Order: sequence, then structure tokens, then C-alpha cells
Amino acid sequence: MTRRSRMLGAVMAGVLALSLAACGSGSSNSGDTTTKPADTTTTTDNGNSNSNEKITITFQNIYPDTTDPKNKMLHKIVDQYQKDHPNITIELDSLNTDQQKLKLKTQAASKEVPDITIVNPAAQMQPFIDADLFAPLNEMIEQNGLKDTFQQGILDYYTFNGNVYALPDGNNIGVVYYNKSLFEKAGVKVPTTFEEMVDAVKQLKAKGVTPMAIGEKDSWTGSFLFMNVLLRTNGGPGFLKEVVDGKKTFEDPAFKEAVDAFESLIQAGAFQDGVTSFDYNAGENLFKTGKAAMYYMGSWATGGIETSEAGKDNNVGVFKFPTVNGKGNPDEFMLAPGSAFAVSKDSKHLKETLDFLNYFMLNYPKETFAAKGAVGIAQTVDGDFKAAGYSDMAMDVLKLFKEVKGGDLAFDNTMNPGTAQAHLSSIQNLFVAKKDASEVAKEHQTAYEENK
Amino acid sequence: MNVLKVSGWVIAAFVLPCLLLYVCLVFIPILVSIYSGMLDWNGIGASKFIGFANYTKMFTNDSVFWPALGRTFLLAGFSMLVQVPIALFVAILISRYVRRPNFLVSSYFLPVILSVVVIGQLWKTIYNPASMGGMINQILIGLGLDSLTHSWLTEPKVAIFAVILVSLWQYLGYHILIQFTGIQNIPADIYEAAKIDGADGFKADRYITLPMIVPIFKISVVLAFIGSLQSFDLIMVMTGGGPAHATDVISSHMYNMSFLSMKYGYGSAIATFLVFVCLLATVIINFLFNRLDKRYS
Repeated sequence: MTRRSRMLGAVMAGVLALSLAACGSGSSNSGDTTTKPADTTTTTDNGNSNSNEKITITFQNIYPDTTDPKNKMLHKIVDQYQKDHPNITIELDSLNTDQQKLKLKTQAASKEVPDITIVNPAAQMQPFIDADLFAPLNEMIEQNGLKDTFQQGILDYYTFNGNVYALPDGNNIGVVYYNKSLFEKAGVKVPTTFEEMVDAVKQLKAKGVTPMAIGEKDSWTGSFLFMNVLLRTNGGPGFLKEVVDGKKTFEDPAFKEAVDAFESLIQAGAFQDGVTSFDYNAGENLFKTGKAAMYYMGSWATGGIETSEAGKDNNVGVFKFPTVNGKGNPDEFMLAPGSAFAVSKDSKHLKETLDFLNYFMLNYPKETFAAKGAVGIAQTVDGDFKAAGYSDMAMDVLKLFKEVKGGDLAFDNTMNPGTAQAHLSSIQNLFVAKKDASEVAKEHQTAYEENK
Repeated sequence: MNVLKVSGWVIAAFVLPCLLLYVCLVFIPILVSIYSGMLDWNGIGASKFIGFANYTKMFTNDSVFWPALGRTFLLAGFSMLVQVPIALFVAILISRYVRRPNFLVSSYFLPVILSVVVIGQLWKTIYNPASMGGMINQILIGLGLDSLTHSWLTEPKVAIFAVILVSLWQYLGYHILIQFTGIQNIPADIYEAAKIDGADGFKADRYITLPMIVPIFKISVVLAFIGSLQSFDLIMVMTGGGPAHATDVISSHMYNMSFLSMKYGYGSAIATFLVFVCLLATVIINFLFNRLDKRYS
């Protein structure tokens, strides 16, 4: 009896261990299935591609929201491509921006970058380039004239050592949106100088209107605005670059002047109460629901604002960020080259992936235009925006684009991540505590030297 | 061993699956993070071995680390010294005076099963400034206590306490449930015997419930402590560590360092530190309670 039960026990334990092992190998098998069926299917000959291999391309993207025009555009192009190439399956991995950033970093650490993924320009791309994860796209963009569809100079932000590594989905500028009826109610005119802007803030405040909305829990929003002030006090673009080149430090007068100006705006009560607990969407919603009079943001917000409550009947207008202390040129903008599509260097189907991305980017302007999402894309669009039903505000934004004479990138696109984080929290602090400009400058300089 | 009448091999075979799982999911990651804590690594590219430099920097030259650690212990302190005793008190009251306690205990437990994101958003609206319709501030104004209104989540000095309060509120029901169950398991005949001897009401609680509940209480305290050390999600949802690090705790600092500042090695060093603090704290709490146990047995 005891012997039998002992046997039974040993067998059961063995089964347990085996099933555990089976689980382990099972998962690694499923990872391989994307490539395995290649040799089993030889029948599909009707495709116009030169290969009849069954291929799956993973396309990581940041358009998960099904109400977003970009999501519709994405599905439309992908479906069409799959119809034309029956042997190719495009697997969409749609995530929101923050999730995607995290997922890609995790994947990059284990060198398992999806075939197509999303990266941000300039300094934010640098670590990925240093790790040699992406395939150069130089040859691909020459095919079918894709390169010429992009705006002049935009690809520079994605070019390292003479190689283009990613293709942007947008190219935006920082503008101030304002609510016309709230401006009228407070008797405020569109400010042409920063000082007028501070006065406008005080007048709006006196009428019980929140002058400006911002989502400062996501601290890049405040930094974006601050950098625009710095772009003015510095008398032109390139401050951060000069810091990197060792020609200036953060303790430069231009930087301190920017901090002082920025603080004067905050101290005038420009922003809503509890500003650092509002995330990006909550901040933007204040403006969209007509509870705040001004909103400084990248022009990507145009689409959302024009369909919002505040944006009805052309109630929202835009203006350029004004001069500060008479300095700077309003035609210089905060530039925000968009997130961009990059291709994994180790992709198992590099050729097919490049072909698909080429097709995708060629059709991108046409389809986003049709989906009414073409304000601020990085490619030239053929088509009459007005006739296609874009709003007056969208037309105004498009007009601003034509007046752009250079500008600066956001802080985290220019500086390394360590310094950028220190900067973001230092600026966030200004929203809740008054600080001496030289102290803020010193914080920046220390962080920069530590992270150099 | 002989009692079981099976060979050591059989026992080993039974233990193996779980042991493997445990080693893979717990031990190896800890070892890996100890190792990557000694790297200068951005998480993606090439890494450089730098020994204990990350730790030196952490202890001597990181203006966020010590305050964040302090706030972590503040949260742990509130949790162990305020939340768990209140939970015990409520549990005693329930088991003494409520005839059908299940509904009540379930209600207290409800916040625990709610998603932290939901709770964070809920309390964010409660804490909002009066101009945004925040409940607390409006009540204060209604009572004529205008001077007590704060913008709770954005004033650097107040914000951490506002977050701690939510955390205490959320897990109160969890500890009530644990201790209520513990009290239910105390045999009724002990109380009856005590009643005959003249110990009733709170006297019985003092001399029977409290000593008998010590082992359960210990579990509660350990869980509260470790839970506080790892608290992360609520802070991320409510303040994101801001304004300007005023509500950063160890784990949110670790997250910021590893993923936002892209200092993966440094983040791993913080993680390793956190593991050791957890282990050390568990040992200390166990030691203290063992002494308490001995005194009562």
C-alpha cells in the first residue's frame, strides 16, 4: 500500500514538473510561429509582391483611440495594403503614448524591437541610435518620391551621422489659443507683447475667469511654455545648443530673465487653482469647455479644440506667442517635430517592412487630410483645406505655419533625459512656490553638469 | 520526516515546481537588479560596471532620495500606528455589537477592490480647489472656515498628507477584515469562562482579545509596512510625485530614475535598497512581535 502510494506520488510530481516545463516551452514556440509557416504555404501566387512567403509585420503605434481620425486613417491604409498583398499581415500594437514609450524601452533592453515602432525626435532618439537598433531609411525614402513629400528640413531631426532613421507623423508649432467670447466679456484684446499678456491675465482674473489653462501634472506642458519665453528673452533660438557647446551656462542673463518673466505670469494668477494636479487632458478640457480664456499648446491640439464646446461657431482664435520685454521675434516658434516611425534593424522581414512603411507614408497625407487631421502633419498636402470643410481656426493655424521663421525644440528633445527631468521638476516648482531666478538657474546648471 | 513515510526525493519532487517558480520570479530578478545596480546603464545601450558608485551617489548626493525615503517611512508610520490600531478597534466593535457583520465588513472592504486609478480620480475631485468644485474646500467654506481651505494636492507641505489619508482610507477595510476574522476565530468558551470570573466587556477585550489577536495583528502590521514601502500607483495617479518631488516616495523616485531620466542602473540600485529595507523591516517586526508573543504565552 505505502509503496504504491509512493509510486503514485512520484508520478504525480513528475507530471506537475512536466506540465510546468511544457508551459515554458509552449510560450517560446508561439513566438516562433510568425516565421514557421513560411515553408508550408506555397500556393498563393496571385500577389503582386515578388515573394509568396506568409509574413507578419508588427506595427507598434500610438493611435489606440477609435474616435481619433488617425486611428481610422491607420486602419484604412493597413487594410488596403493587406488586400493588395495577401501574403502580408500587419499586426497592430496600438498603445497610448506613455505605455508605448515604456514598452519600447523594455523591448529595446532585450533587443526585441517591433518591426515598426514610434520614437521621438533628436535627443530623445539618441539612446536608441547609440544602441544601434534602427535601420537607416535613406534608400527607402528615395523610392516613389517619398522624400519629396516631406517638408524642407523636417527630416534633419531624425537624421544621425547622415542617416535618416525615422519618418515623422507630424510637425507642430507652439501657439496660444484664446476664447473670443471670454476675451470680449473681460474687454481684453489679443496681446501683442508679454506685458500686455500679463495685463490681460489680471483683467480676466478680475472678471472671475481663469485666464490660462495648463495641465502641469504632466510637467512638459509648463516647460513648453517656459521655453517659448526663453526663446524670446534669448533674442532667438539656440540657447540650449549654446549651453551644450559650452558657450553659455544656465546662469546666463537671458535664462534668468525668462524665469522672472515666467514667474510674473504665474504670480499674476494666470493659471487655474491646483494646477500641478491637472494632467494634460484635464488641463486642456478646462479650455475646451470654455472655463479658461487662453491655452498655450502645440498646434496638434487644433483638431480637438475645433470640435469642442468652446470651439463652436469659430469662438476660438489663435495668436503667436508675443515678444518679452521687447525681445525676440514672434515668427520664431516652439517647434515640435512629431513622433516618428522607425524600423527595427533586426526585423526578420526588413525589405517587406520598408516597402510597407514607404506605402504607408505615401498615403498618409491623403488619408489624414480626408479624416480632417491634416493640420500640422510633416508632409505637404495637396488639397483645398477650406473647401474640405476645415474651420477658420484651422485655417489660421495653417497660416501661422507659413510664417514660421525657425525656432527651438522642446527641452527634452534637446537635452539628455537626466537634465530634462531636473528641468521639468524645477519649472513645475515655480507653479507652487516663488523662487529666485538665480536659484532656478543654479539648479539647472548643477543638473546639467551632473548629467553631462 | 519519518512521519510522512516518504523518501526525501519524493518531497523534493513535490517542492520542485513551486521552488522553480519562486526562484525564477523572485530570486533571479533580485540578483539581476543587484547586478544592474552596479552599472552605469541607460537601459538600452552599452553599460559600464561602476561598482558601488550608484550607491554612494544615492546616499550622499541625491537631493530627492532622503526626503523620498522619509515620506515612505511617514506613510509606513501612519499605516502601522494609526490605520492598523483603528482597524483593530473597529473590528472589536463590530464583533461585539453587530449581529450580522458580513455586510458591514464587506462595505469597509469595498475600496480595496476598487481600482487605484478610480480611487485616485475620485479623491482628486474631492480635494479640488473650491473654484473647481472640490468637496472638502466647499464644506470648509460652508462652515465659515475659509482660512482652512487649501489646494490640498498642490501645496508642497500639505500634499503628502492628503495622499497618505487616501491610502489609509483605502486599506482600512483590508485590515478590518483580517483582524475581524482573527477575532472570530477566538473560541467563545474563553469569553464565557472569563464572564464567570467577572471579566466582561472591554475588560475581556483587554485580557483576552488583545493577547489572542497578536499573531494576526502582526500579519496586519507587516502587510501595512511592506505595502507602504511599495506604494506607488496612488501617488502616480494623484500627484505624479509632484509638485517638484514634494510627494515622491522611494518607488516613484525609482520609476522616475529608471524610466524617465533613463538611468536604469541607478534605478536598480534604489530597487535593491528597497528590497533590503523590506527584508530588514520584516525581521525587526518579527523580532518585536516574538517578544510580545512570549510575554503573553
